[in-house]
Amino acid sequence: MSANDRLSSVRRSGGVWLGVGALLLLLGGCAAHQSVVLVPDPAGHVGIAEVRTAAGRQTLQKAGDMTQIRNASAAPSAITTAQADFITATFGEVLAIEPAPARVTTLLFESGAAELRADALALLDDIAAASKRPGVVRVSISGHSDATGSVQLNDALSRQRADRVRTLLLERGVPARLIDVSSHGKGNPLITTPDGVPEPRNRRVMVVVR
Amino acid sequence: MKKHFSVLALVWVVIAPAVQAQSATATIGHLQNLSGSATVDRAGAALPAAAGMVLLQGDKLRTGRPGAAGVVLTDDTTIALGSGSELVLDNYAFAPQEGKFSLALKLMKGTFSYVTGQIVKLSPEAARVQTPTATIAVRGTKLLIEVQE
Repeated sequence: MSANDRLSSVRRSGGVWLGVGALLLLLGGCAAHQSVVLVPDPAGHVGIAEVRTAAGRQTLQKAGDMTQIRNASAAPSAITTAQADFITATFGEVLAIEPAPARVTTLLFESGAAELRADALALLDDIAAASKRPGVVRVSISGHSDATGSVQLNDALSRQRADRVRTLLLERGVPARLIDVSSHGKGNPLITTPDGVPEPRNRRVMVVVR
Repeated sequence: MKKHFSVLALVWVVIAPAVQAQSATATIGHLQNLSGSATVDRAGAALPAAAGMVLLQGDKLRTGRPGAAGVVLTDDTTIALGSGSELVLDNYAFAPQEGKFSLALKLMKGTFSYVTGQIVKLSPEAARVQTPTATIAVRGTKLLIEVQE
């Protein structure tokens, strides 16, 4: 075999591999590598999602809106509507394992105080009972304040409120290992107000049982 | 001088635990549901996953075949994974008191559902979901995402 023959043999096999590669690319091009579908959240709300690659972007804004990305260098496809059978076939397993929505209770407090209102005290036994059920992994207590007073005062106050609820739940037999406590001050209001404005619904402790 | 030292020591005693709480050892969520097998890769070790397990920033959760898992983060972000999936909890900060928010999820492969939590509500631009080729910015809702290998 001359050097030339060897070279052309290499070229021929190279050509075959190129052909196989092109075929694989073609086949790969038929399958969607990634799919993103917008669906309503557990409360029924549908938001907006923007899907972006190096080559372009698409915005999903209606329930069922779907875009697909076929390879790394492609832009997300034009929006289509995901069919129910596609969602069931592809995401059935995922939807079956989703954590159930948490049980959320809001406990209101007197202004400037770490004492629960009487109507809030009455909710503690129910929270404790729910927290002691089998399968509960976490009881998260977060303290909040309204926007009156300084940041420092409200940080301290919302911590005291959360600690107070922790004590009351411990007294009712909730295991300490399940409980975590955080204080959000005026940084996470239920109702957004300008700074300095009193808002009774923001003077609260949220207890989330999961 | 002695007084200075004791003041410093006191400051250290008070501050050190607070600093630790912000480090990579802070709980950022829990594995709530599990069926089949799953593994958490953490600091070079592969830990068998169990329902109720605490999750930390940097954890990579891998589900087996079969295997499916449901995760809840402390801001109520909820993520479910189907069989043969990989999720990295890449970056997380939820400190409303300090106005600090950050959420970066990497969906490496598999099938997922993602329901946004309080971070997206309070600071939408702080949350990002990444797949191997795309970035998804979400404004408060639920997504289903498939990432084929």
